[in-house]
Amino acid sequence: MFGGKKKEEELDEFNIHVARHRPEELAKLAKTTKFTRKEIQLIYRGFKQECPTGMVDEDSFKNIFSQFFPQGDASQYAHYVFNTIKHNHTGKISFEDFLGILSKVSRGSVQEKLQWIFGLYDLNGDGLITKNEMLDVVTSIYEMLGRSTEPQVDEHSAKEHVEKIFHQIDANKDGVVTIDELVEWCSRDEQILQSLDTLDTVL
Amino acid sequence: MASVAAWLPFARAAAIGWVPIATHPLPPAPIPKDRRKADDEKLLINVSGRRFETWRNTLEKYPDTLLGSNEREFFYDEECKEYFFDRDPDIFRHILNYYRTGKLHYPKHECLTSYDEELAFFGILPDVIGDCCYEDYRDRKRENAERLMDDKLSENGDQNLQQLTNIRQKMWRAFENPHTSTAALVFYYVTGFFIAVSVMANVVETVPCGLRPGRAGTLPCGERYKIVFFCLDTACVMIFTAEYLLRLFAAPDRCKFVRSVMSIIDVVAILPYYIGLGITDNDDVSGAFVTLRVFRVFRIFKFSRHSQGLRILGYTLKSCASELGFLVFSLAMAIIIFATVMFYAEKNVEGTNFTSIPAAFWYTIVTMTTLGYGDMVPETIAGKIVGGVCSLSGVLVIALPVPVIVSNFSRIYHQNQRADKRKAQRKARLARIRIAKASSGAAFVSKKKAAEARIAAQESGLEIDDNYHQEDIFELQHHHLLRCLEKTTDREFVEMEVPYNGQPKRPGSPSPLASPTHSAASHPGLLHACCGRCCGQRYQRSEAI
Repeated sequence: MFGGKKKEEELDEFNIHVARHRPEELAKLAKTTKFTRKEIQLIYRGFKQECPTGMVDEDSFKNIFSQFFPQGDASQYAHYVFNTIKHNHTGKISFEDFLGILSKVSRGSVQEKLQWIFGLYDLNGDGLITKNEMLDVVTSIYEMLGRSTEPQVDEHSAKEHVEKIFHQIDANKDGVVTIDELVEWCSRDEQILQSLDTLDTVL
Repeated sequence: MASVAAWLPFARAAAIGWVPIATHPLPPAPIPKDRRKADDEKLLINVSGRRFETWRNTLEKYPDTLLGSNEREFFYDEECKEYFFDRDPDIFRHILNYYRTGKLHYPKHECLTSYDEELAFFGILPDVIGDCCYEDYRDRKRENAERLMDDKLSENGDQNLQQLTNIRQKMWRAFENPHTSTAALVFYYVTGFFIAVSVMANVVETVPCGLRPGRAGTLPCGERYKIVFFCLDTACVMIFTAEYLLRLFAAPDRCKFVRSVMSIIDVVAILPYYIGLGITDNDDVSGAFVTLRVFRVFRIFKFSRHSQGLRILGYTLKSCASELGFLVFSLAMAIIIFATVMFYAEKNVEGTNFTSIPAAFWYTIVTMTTLGYGDMVPETIAGKIVGGVCSLSGVLVIALPVPVIVSNFSRIYHQNQRADKRKAQRKARLARIRIAKASSGAAFVSKKKAAEARIAAQESGLEIDDNYHQEDIFELQHHHLLRCLEKTTDREFVEMEVPYNGQPKRPGSPSPLASPTHSAASHPGLLHACCGRCCGQRYQRSEAI
């Protein structure tokens, strides 16, 4: 019959064009990251279960993140974390990127960890953290708490927190924080260095 | 192993970003790093319990899939010397057959989405589905896609409800969804009423209303009560013009609006009046004037804004355009053939009606549609035979495309019904999800208290419990993560008011609240409760093993 071709083409657009990605060899990953073979196997199985195509896009990332913070809204913090992971122009991250960041942040040196933290707060990537950037990130952290906390979270909580802490980190009081000021602030306090270590995970 | 739990390391790693701004120091790690679990990875089940065996060469036939490449090493279990996949064994059977025979089949009783997921997991493109099953697959996929589009559209529509800023957007929303505000509803009914009035006036105008003075013949009401009808017409046109201008003002994309079908109908409905005002009651142009009045009947199409059934009918006709085209084309062919034959058969009869082939067209049409007025009748024997064949074939030709159109209409109509039903169901579903979330928050707080009690027991020197189950470790670390968040922001999670009203449990919904007296080891962890909707089923399956 006449004129039926267009419908099939429209349908093909519905099929999301998924790029399937296969990761590097297990042995190679075990060499380049700080995880053992067994641990990488465990991590990959979980990764593959959530993202069968081998690539994570931002929405699934936010979804997964939100499951660990059931009371609040973790999507904005997940967005900032997602941006710290180098991804290609399609906006998805592969298993190698994911594992690389995980290895660096949970088992890397103090310098690597602080570098990542700096990258997290420096939203526009210009090498300086302004008060507004810190305010955005801290607001997203407070959003993860949700409503049922004691004392309650309101719209000023994040601002107060930033006011208190920003000028402590900003040693030369020029209104921006550089990577050196951040390193200086974290190295000075023994407890902060310890805290950096507690967030590694035993698999 | 619980899959979302495998993302916990990443969530914990990402939490390092809280460290510089923490108001209090973060609590120490719950599990000392040098202690590794004794029996790691006791996941010794093949595709969920069913063992499959095949040659290595069979798998390596397709090296760009999961099973055919190095990727399967990630799923190798050294202790049992086998590969373990926690997937559906029934669907896996088809996937393995693909490697064996080279043809991928689609089982009709499986859900399309789950099948697609398995294909995506094992790295197989749906395009390799064999010809025997491909049609079915595409049809199901199209149905699903249409449903998704409907859902997405309605979701967008719902989202936009909250973002109206100015008068224009509010007006547009009032025009498109009359049920959103009283003013919109009033406007809707008023315009509907005036459309009806206008159409009725057009009809009544031509009813005979008494005799013509001084001449033979009846006088139509339109001419007797000229002023009344003129006033009525003016009122209706003013309302329609106002409506059109308001819609034009409120439309977000004016060019698109002007080109849309409804606006063209609006314009065609009101234009004759204005043109009629311009033309005087002159005999020369009154012919044209009369023609214009015919267009006034298009006002009846304005009702399609008020009736969803009409819109569906219009949409059906549009989507069946190819079938309708076929119908018209085949009818035209048949008419020409039969008219020609008829003409030449009846040409030589005395005083015949069949004066030319176009004249015979009328006879053919009337006969093929089984009307049979009888104003043109064949006289010769050949003509009667042809007439008989013509009427028989007419029934066939017309009956053919009709079922296609009807089934299209039925499908679209039912889809519309389903879309409305789904919208209502979704609201109820979202409400239930919100309640489930609230209950999981309460579960977390109770778990937190239990965990704190256990840690206090550890710190005060009681025996360290070395028999951690796998879930336990992840639970501990998940709680530690949430406690870090508390310490960073100087807040504490507390119990929320949960309106627990005993909702009937849906398959896949989280299990009921964990009471504080349950020990953590024997109960699926927090992750079960909080990852309710999306992961509930997977958890239930893994727990059942």
